[in-house]
Amino acid sequence: MVENDSVTEKKPRIRPIVRLGFFLISHSNYVSLLCFLSGIVALLLLPILANNTYISENALMPGSANSMLSTQHVSHANKFINDLTHSDIESHKTVAQYMSALDAEVTYHKFYPQLNQFHPLHFFTSSDSGIISKNISCSSLGINVAGIIRAPRGDGKEAIVLVTPYNPKKVGPGEALSLGIAYSVFSLLSRVTWLAKDVIWLVADSQYGEYSAVSAWLREYQAPVFHEAEIVNSETCNDSIAISELGQNPYSDRNSYGGFRRAGTMAAALVIKVDEQGNHHEDSLNIYPEASNGQMPNLDLINIVNYLGVHKTGFRIKVKKMFSLLGSRWLNTLGGIFESLGQIARSLNPQWKFGISATEYVEGAATLASSMYSQGLGVPTGSHGAFRDYQVDAITLKISPKDSPTKMIRRNDFILRGGRLIEGVIRSINNLLEKFHQSFFLYLLSSSSKYVSVGVYMIPFALLVAPLPIVAASLHADASKSTLQSTYSSEVEVSHKSWKWLNSARKVLVIHLWGAVVSLLPYFLYQIPNSTPTTNFTVWGILSAFSLIILYFILGSPIFEAAPSQPEKGEWASLKSVTISTAFIGLSLMSVINFATAEIGALLIVPICLMARPLKLDAQARSWRALLRATCNLALGFIAFPPVAYFLVKGAFEDFNGTNVGDYWNWVESLWTWNSATYLYVGIVHLPCWALCIHILFHPC
Amino acid sequence: MSTKTETPVKKKNQKKIQCFWSWVIGSVILRLIIIYFPKNLNLSSRPEVSTPLTSIRRLAEGYWLKQSSMSPYAGSMYHGSPLLLTLLGPLTVKRIEGQPDHLLCSLVFVIADVVTAMLICAAGKKLQAAYSSSLQSIGLHHLSEDSDILPSGDFAALLYLWNPFTIVACVGLSTSAIENLMVVVTLYGACARLAPLAAFGWVMATHLSLYPAILIIPVILLFGYGPDAPPRKLFRQRTNLEVDDSASGDRSCLEDELVNEKRMLNVFSWRPVVLFLFWALLWSSYVLVLCGIYVQQHSGLQEMFKSTYGFILTIQDLSPNIGVFWYFFAEVFDFFRSFFLIVFHGNILLMILPLALRLNHRPCFLAFVYIVLSSMLKSYPSVGDSALYLGLLGLFAYELKDMQFSFFLFSGYVGVSLLSPVMHNLWIWRGTGNANFYFATAIGYACLQIILVVESVSAMLNHDRMITKLTTAKLQNVKS
Repeated sequence: MVENDSVTEKKPRIRPIVRLGFFLISHSNYVSLLCFLSGIVALLLLPILANNTYISENALMPGSANSMLSTQHVSHANKFINDLTHSDIESHKTVAQYMSALDAEVTYHKFYPQLNQFHPLHFFTSSDSGIISKNISCSSLGINVAGIIRAPRGDGKEAIVLVTPYNPKKVGPGEALSLGIAYSVFSLLSRVTWLAKDVIWLVADSQYGEYSAVSAWLREYQAPVFHEAEIVNSETCNDSIAISELGQNPYSDRNSYGGFRRAGTMAAALVIKVDEQGNHHEDSLNIYPEASNGQMPNLDLINIVNYLGVHKTGFRIKVKKMFSLLGSRWLNTLGGIFESLGQIARSLNPQWKFGISATEYVEGAATLASSMYSQGLGVPTGSHGAFRDYQVDAITLKISPKDSPTKMIRRNDFILRGGRLIEGVIRSINNLLEKFHQSFFLYLLSSSSKYVSVGVYMIPFALLVAPLPIVAASLHADASKSTLQSTYSSEVEVSHKSWKWLNSARKVLVIHLWGAVVSLLPYFLYQIPNSTPTTNFTVWGILSAFSLIILYFILGSPIFEAAPSQPEKGEWASLKSVTISTAFIGLSLMSVINFATAEIGALLIVPICLMARPLKLDAQARSWRALLRATCNLALGFIAFPPVAYFLVKGAFEDFNGTNVGDYWNWVESLWTWNSATYLYVGIVHLPCWALCIHILFHPC
Repeated sequence: MSTKTETPVKKKNQKKIQCFWSWVIGSVILRLIIIYFPKNLNLSSRPEVSTPLTSIRRLAEGYWLKQSSMSPYAGSMYHGSPLLLTLLGPLTVKRIEGQPDHLLCSLVFVIADVVTAMLICAAGKKLQAAYSSSLQSIGLHHLSEDSDILPSGDFAALLYLWNPFTIVACVGLSTSAIENLMVVVTLYGACARLAPLAAFGWVMATHLSLYPAILIIPVILLFGYGPDAPPRKLFRQRTNLEVDDSASGDRSCLEDELVNEKRMLNVFSWRPVVLFLFWALLWSSYVLVLCGIYVQQHSGLQEMFKSTYGFILTIQDLSPNIGVFWYFFAEVFDFFRSFFLIVFHGNILLMILPLALRLNHRPCFLAFVYIVLSSMLKSYPSVGDSALYLGLLGLFAYELKDMQFSFFLFSGYVGVSLLSPVMHNLWIWRGTGNANFYFATAIGYACLQIILVVESVSAMLNHDRMITKLTTAKLQNVKS
């Protein structure tokens, strides 16, 4: 204590780290500008900073064994395809027959397509069982067929899943081909001795969407529900379809069993699809890894496919990219600049090898943008997304043949190559001793063989949001300093200088509550029958404004006024500091849940949060700088308005054709149907922060 | 003291009290609403809310074991007190048709919360009255008026009731609501100088969760010296001066004040302390006898101590929680375990004596600091513990008005309490994170609590310094 007293008497001795903090806070304008710009530069540098992928798990050993898939299997598969496309009996029976002919255990899984539901908090609650609506007729019943090969060397505790979605009503040539590839691999696997994990081949009924079929099967597999209503329902339907068909089945003696069959926990899942259109330069393989909320499968799974595709079977591996960016001039110029910079660096020191060619940069940037966009949407890019909800790593492999599947000459060759790839991948996964855990879960792909890991892509984000706490601290310090002076002049008044922010915090809290109300409103709007997206959107907007007004009145009422406070001089500053802190908390939180959303959201919301300043002050200042700032503020405020931001982002990432406010409603609807956390982010973080920034802009200071 | 300033103060107090009751009712209604949506939230299984000691599911399991005439402690499921089993056990079994499960239990917790808030409020009023009279007796009249403006008791009670942590702990059916009630009963009893009540609260709180045992020091100080007051040397200076004054001048007008100061100065009154200790002995033997009867058929009190206090002290359950122990003891080698157990528990004991010496003139604040420390360093912390100390923080609203970093702390608490479930989700449900993710938030939470305790103590000491400065200035004025 003696020491403390002496400190107050003398000039306070400050530790370097505190001094650094003071320095940052006092120069917050420059620091935030610097951080923000360097954040954008770092974001643009990401394609250069991408690393080459490598197989991290030793046990996988891809391509170490020779492929065992022979032309014999392929010819069987050909026969299967012909039967499937030309036979009269229902296609799922054909599939079941062929499966049980391979000594696989066959089960039918009947399911009802799930209706769109509003689960705003689904992300936090653990996987629950879907609610099955009662009034669905038996005609809308979907039937999945699952065949299970028991591993001769395994203990039945682990499984690998192959999924081939197909439409039983109309089996397309591409679907038939994908079934054929799966069948060829399946027929091989039923005879091999090295299999240590059970193999499940799920032929998913995709007439109501492949995702719902796969997720229904997975739900039954992982978390069965025992509803009485459901049993009754399925029994009534059983009479018409299932029982009769099982009775007719000649193979039903041993392997067909009415109940649901399971194998062990799933190690990995592959969804196999074949593109219906041909006309590609060469056979290529598209990988779709993104599951819901930007979750990715373990990078090792993509690595195996990439390795085997490139080195063993000669497919060209592709990852989705944004074609609109490929032609963009500014990106090409930027690529050129980076290339020349890299060359200069190399001429200075040959050890520095960070330059990549301009075309490579543009390709990488387009892929990265696509990867970020589909992660940020939080909507899975295929039926593999259903597996990720149960912590199973899964990807969709979409094989695009050179010629169209209908007039394919080298069909056998195509099946052989596809089958060998799948066989290799399964053999690698079969070697796995534990779950996939070695490689990354959090990454962005910049090509099929390059990735940006979490440690790298967090840097631009951290730089983008770093100004927020600094500016908040400086505003907070200024606000408390100004009140300090005012309260010392009148000593009678109780000085709560340290707690002045409470008033602003209350306002911010109320606005965030409003955000929560707005994001819950669609639940009620969804009940209105026969409404177009445009009217829905309009009603939503009106109701939101209405609720804002109601909350404003509650806020203004004397109950909420803890202390009678006249509008003070520095009030907007403290309000802004609280707003910025909540934006910072929200963005950091979102970066943990779904990085890509947070990154895109930070690009949109951070500038307005940093710039916001009452227009009245700028108007009073009457200088060019103030005027410029006011215009910037207005423009940024307009950009950050969620529907405008949506159209901008969509225009930047997708083709921009026609603007219709109904689009926004459709987009929002798709977000909540897929339980995307992006929806919550927009409603509870982005919208309130934007509203508060606008409030600050028009603040009567 | 002018009458002009007095009237608005009174009005404000009355207005505040009107609002107070509506706020209390509002908080009860909010709790009831959330209780009716338990399925979506599933709060009672969150690691932040229910620890092995406070989980209602474990309690129901213990009750079931007891009903099927087994020891409630069999199978390492239940680790609470047998008295809680008799109180809450029958309620866990009872189901009302069409109502959510555990409705009766939740009602008990809601009542416990409200009673806690009322006791905090009453204790706050007692503290405030004592504090303003002691400020007046050292001649700082304007400060005592200032301290009257903010009804800190009401404020603290509302802070406790509306704290999201309290609500979550209450709706999540964590028995920490009852532990908190017992701690607050102790403090209230000590403030109101009711030795039997304080002793009962202390014995029960210690019995339920062991850590409140350290509150015996602040309680003894409360009984010995009376509630929080400015540093004692100020009174001594003041009396010396006044004795000088009165020797020369008239003594009648100062007599009242002098008597009052004598009471303040009465160095340490042993009588209530001995009374408290006697009652504590009585209550603890009573509790032990009751527990003994309850666990009589099954290996007796020894097993009870082993699986309650032993479980707390040896940290057998390493399931993740918001504390820092589980991670460390999951990593530590077995042969170092007992050493580190002693080190970690010693942390709390280490800080007891210095704090007691420094803050002995403010026993209630000392109790607050002890509660923060123990809820930071306890083996199975939950948000219910933070709810208690954040509520008690409101009692010192006047003294801590100049606390630094309050905004930072607030944002930190908001951030950590949102981040913690997300990290848990990432680790347990999505599988993309790992234990380090969750532990990072636990470390952040511990750091926030450290900052809170450091800042509040330093704000309190600054407040004391300010008072000292003012009185010495006044004394010098009088002398010169």
